[in-house]
Amino acid sequence: MNLNVFLSGIRNNPWVTPVTVMALVLGALLAVSLKTQQSIRSTSLPSNRFSGLAAAYRDQQEQLKMANEEISKLRERTTQYENEMASASEKAKLLNNALQEAKFLAGLTPVEGPGIEVVLQDSKKRPPANSPIDIENYIIHDSDLQRVVNELHAAGAEAVAINGQRIIATTAIRCVGPSIQVNGIALSSPYVIQAIGAPETLLGAMNLPQGVLADIQAIDPNMAKVTKKNNIQIPAYTGSLVFRYAKPVATASGNVQGGEESSAK
Amino acid sequence: MNWLPVIGLLLGFALFYFMPLQLPSDYAPYLSLATLSGLDSILGGIRAGIEGKFHVDVFISGFIFNTLLAAMLAYLGDQIGVDLFLAAVVTLGGRMFLNLSLIRRYYLTQWTLSRQRDAERT
Repeated sequence: MNLNVFLSGIRNNPWVTPVTVMALVLGALLAVSLKTQQSIRSTSLPSNRFSGLAAAYRDQQEQLKMANEEISKLRERTTQYENEMASASEKAKLLNNALQEAKFLAGLTPVEGPGIEVVLQDSKKRPPANSPIDIENYIIHDSDLQRVVNELHAAGAEAVAINGQRIIATTAIRCVGPSIQVNGIALSSPYVIQAIGAPETLLGAMNLPQGVLADIQAIDPNMAKVTKKNNIQIPAYTGSLVFRYAKPVATASGNVQGGEESSAK
Repeated sequence: MNWLPVIGLLLGFALFYFMPLQLPSDYAPYLSLATLSGLDSILGGIRAGIEGKFHVDVFISGFIFNTLLAAMLAYLGDQIGVDLFLAAVVTLGGRMFLNLSLIRRYYLTQWTLSRQRDAERT
């Protein structure tokens, strides 16, 4: 291709030069567009897949809920079988009593009784303009839930659950992006914390001056509400019960005791 | 056959592809639509040139206005929750096919004619 081809083109056709100039602009647009799309593809999901993923997510949650119901049903049946087997002999009955007590303490049985309900939710208000208060203070954080649960236990709560998630010995309450995970399940505002215990004591613990709710309620009284309940039902823990590392310490007499003797072996 | 627009396109592409310029991904749909509209304008310009109806003012103003309009239409659609995006894509897409087919036909005819002339000469 020699230069003559181009020049003859310009001479013959008045449209070639403007089209070429605009083609340059189009090339620039194409390049920027392509680069932007590439960066979207490499860093995040294309927006046209959001609806499909949302549907899949809902499906999965539905299945998870059903699986959890299945777990609690099966665990209840286990308890029934244990009770049936216990009726065979006096020894078995004693063993079963101890077993049921341990399961109760571990949070593996649904429980009911009097207590209180603490509802924590993100404030609908926003900080006024030029306010020194950060917007973060208008949101419920994992630390708020931890402090409330801690205070409830300190006040003698015997069973605690957040949005139906039973708090057990290995429960973690942590912040994961916009939601708070309890037992590995993502929860979102409002957070309903149910606690079974002496209602007056629990209520007093929540309403202590300078207590766990004081800071939150100073921002917006609607963020924390405490109500006394005559009968609260708290579901059993439905998460995993597999222990892979911890093993009970076996001693010569077969009793479970502190670690000193076993390490001397 | 005139290759200057193609070379302009490649040059513009290369120039901006290797520039460290990047738009926030929020504007990506509008940018895509603006690009599509620009492509349509270029093809329309080539077609008009072939048909001998080309006017520089119409072409340049059409390119700029259509590009901005397409992006603004998409933005408006996003704001009011209607996929006006699709309206632009369908319209521009249809027109591009039409223009491309006319351009193709023109150059195909030219090619056939030149071949006939060559055959007559020999």
